[in-house]
Amino acid sequence: MCFKNLPVEFDASGKPYLKEGVANPYGYEPRKDLTHDQITDLLTRNGHIKEVNFDPVTRVAGALAFHSVVDLEQRSVVETNAVATLFRGYEVILKGRDPRDAIFISSRACGVCGGVHSTCSALALEMAFGIQPPPLGVILRNLLLAAEFLYDHPLHLFLLAGPDYSQSAVEATNPELWDRALRTPAEHTGVHGYATIAEIMTDLNPLSGNLYLEALGMTRIAREAYVILGGKYPHPQTIVPGGISTTVTLTTFNEYYSRLLKLVDYSKKVALLWDDVFDFFLRANPEYARVGARRKNLIDTGLWDSPDSYDATYKNCNEWGKARWATPGVIIDGELRTTNLQDINIGLEEFVEHSFYEGWNGERFPTDESGAPLSPHHPWNKETKPRPEGINWKEKYTWDTAPRWDRMSMETGPYSRMWNTALAQEIPDNDFIEATGHSLKLRLPKAAKPALDLEWHIPQDWNALERNRARAYAMAYTALVAMNDWLRGLAMLRDGETKVSTEYEMPRRGTQIGVGFWGAGRGYLTHHAVIDNGKIANYQILTPSTWMASPRDPFGNPGPYEEAVMNTPLLETFDKPEDFKGIDILRAIRSFDPCMPCTTHVYAGDRTIVREVNTCACGVE
Amino acid sequence: MTTKPAGRTLIAGVGYRNLRDLSAGNAIIDTLLAMDWPSGVEVEDLSYGPMDALFRFKEAAFERLIVIGAVARPGRIPGEVYRSRWQYEAEPPDQVQARVAEAVTGVISLDNLLIICAHFEVLPPDTIVIEIEPEDGDWGEEFSPRVAAAADRIVAQIVSKWGASLVE
Repeated sequence: MCFKNLPVEFDASGKPYLKEGVANPYGYEPRKDLTHDQITDLLTRNGHIKEVNFDPVTRVAGALAFHSVVDLEQRSVVETNAVATLFRGYEVILKGRDPRDAIFISSRACGVCGGVHSTCSALALEMAFGIQPPPLGVILRNLLLAAEFLYDHPLHLFLLAGPDYSQSAVEATNPELWDRALRTPAEHTGVHGYATIAEIMTDLNPLSGNLYLEALGMTRIAREAYVILGGKYPHPQTIVPGGISTTVTLTTFNEYYSRLLKLVDYSKKVALLWDDVFDFFLRANPEYARVGARRKNLIDTGLWDSPDSYDATYKNCNEWGKARWATPGVIIDGELRTTNLQDINIGLEEFVEHSFYEGWNGERFPTDESGAPLSPHHPWNKETKPRPEGINWKEKYTWDTAPRWDRMSMETGPYSRMWNTALAQEIPDNDFIEATGHSLKLRLPKAAKPALDLEWHIPQDWNALERNRARAYAMAYTALVAMNDWLRGLAMLRDGETKVSTEYEMPRRGTQIGVGFWGAGRGYLTHHAVIDNGKIANYQILTPSTWMASPRDPFGNPGPYEEAVMNTPLLETFDKPEDFKGIDILRAIRSFDPCMPCTTHVYAGDRTIVREVNTCACGVE
Repeated sequence: MTTKPAGRTLIAGVGYRNLRDLSAGNAIIDTLLAMDWPSGVEVEDLSYGPMDALFRFKEAAFERLIVIGAVARPGRIPGEVYRSRWQYEAEPPDQVQARVAEAVTGVISLDNLLIICAHFEVLPPDTIVIEIEPEDGDWGEEFSPRVAAAADRIVAQIVSKWGASLVE
């Protein structure tokens, strides 16, 4: 059964329909939580329970804040709220514009993933316009978005989340771990060259560590690879409906390849050195498996299309979706529920009970084009109606909405696409990546360094360390997708197949709708577009961080950040509240690669500790 | 025209586009890019980010950087131009790391550019910062009258000092 909570069933041919006899199929009664007075009473009666606020400083565009209540005696988190503190507003900006503007305007939602938004927007528009790119156009998109991820992954691993595992952080928060790291040999020294865990941690130190500095250099190589083919980054001007507007030659292809080989070599080392660090933490204290833990509920649209399958139609989306290098899918409690893009789409809803928005009626599209039912809360039916007001932790506290699939809170990341791909075993035949049903085998070819086989296993426990471990393997996975696409593209060029875009006429009359299913480095991305008489009537962007920074939904379910932080034990070494730094909570939050630049103030007793969780602005509305 | 100093010089701008006065750095560079510059003088919009600028400086070995941006700071007069020779007062590593994290996630900031590049010791030895105090940072392409006049003055002074000529 695909849906357990939505009133949607499937007929014998697999076509979804609305269950009969349900009076108000998408209706619900919002759940009542503890009142603010009850929480205040709890704080007053228990001296060891503290409010821990992650409070933003808005010197940058976009911010995430956290409000938590922690029990320092029990070393646990009692309550938490994720807060997107800025209004993004792209949906409002785009209304009434020429649809083609969406590619360039939506790109600005993120300073890291601009190319992803452009591409996702182009997919939504080509579905609406009824056009499709030529095969080399599809390949180039794949190569560009692989390069973008090869920029994004080291950025997360070494510049944003990595410092939490560095000598400077570990020695300050868990000196006993540091002592152990000094004595612990690194298992994969033959690949990465580090003799002990302490040596790796020292090179993870921000600004001065060799791994940190090397990552800066590798992000540059990945950007060069993108720019060689795409012209400009982070906000490319070459992404268009029906392909890309650039010219490629064997020379540019080879220039891309020279960068790709460096990234292939780098990914060998990245996976195994993080394996060593995370295994060290789990062996030193198995309780680290609870840091950032949550249900194995994951969603991803997949990406990297097959030029043989992708036709940009909604009608065939299940088929071309399954032909992707990353298989779309939904995983509930570790089980693969579906790999159909249509199921992913019709299961979507967004709620605003705890967000600074007004509700909407959502009656325009009761079904998709095939007649499958859509909720009034579905993005095609959604309206963005901002209503700013003061924060009330029990009522409205964020600019993020609560996206849900089958009314469940989902997380997404490079790991969700790897997990889907491993379980589904739909990946096209190729020389480099094999899906086993429980793992992904990654065969990295010889470049300057010898060939190396890696295997990413679907984890038994799901937590902050495993999120980051999967991210480290995502480097190799992404590089191998690029290898496959590069070889295919080279063959096309040799055959004289050089067309990269399709001419089209934009419809000026009537209504067209489209959805871009793509993925960011951080996971799931969709753009839903409704076009009336040649103008955007509705445009909705659903990003990874919209899912994961989400507030509670009307059914009382917390968002993924909230749930993960709630489950996090406080393993940090501290004797007095004023020594508490909050490293375990921050490791939990950062493992999701949150997508809002934020400054986090941790208040513990009368002491304020300032920490930052940095990313971009695309998690908010 | 005054004598041009020796060594490679980069004249650069930093800022977000389409934010009226706050885009003065980019707009001035756009104007300067349309001119012909003598050998040894380069003009570039450095708004592509401090980390990429870092590598650019590392490789290019400029003797001199003149960097222009609109930056709102307390106590200054809108439309006024503030010129100074950059002196780096070392920031604590945590703050520099925070700036790096902003830089790699897409934040465009003159301060981040200068501090990150100074921290990694790649800024040209002679770095001159020209800041315009903005009056209007709303969406749009046009400057406020005072910033428009200031931008014209900066362009004229740079052309006079560094010897640009209009491209035919």
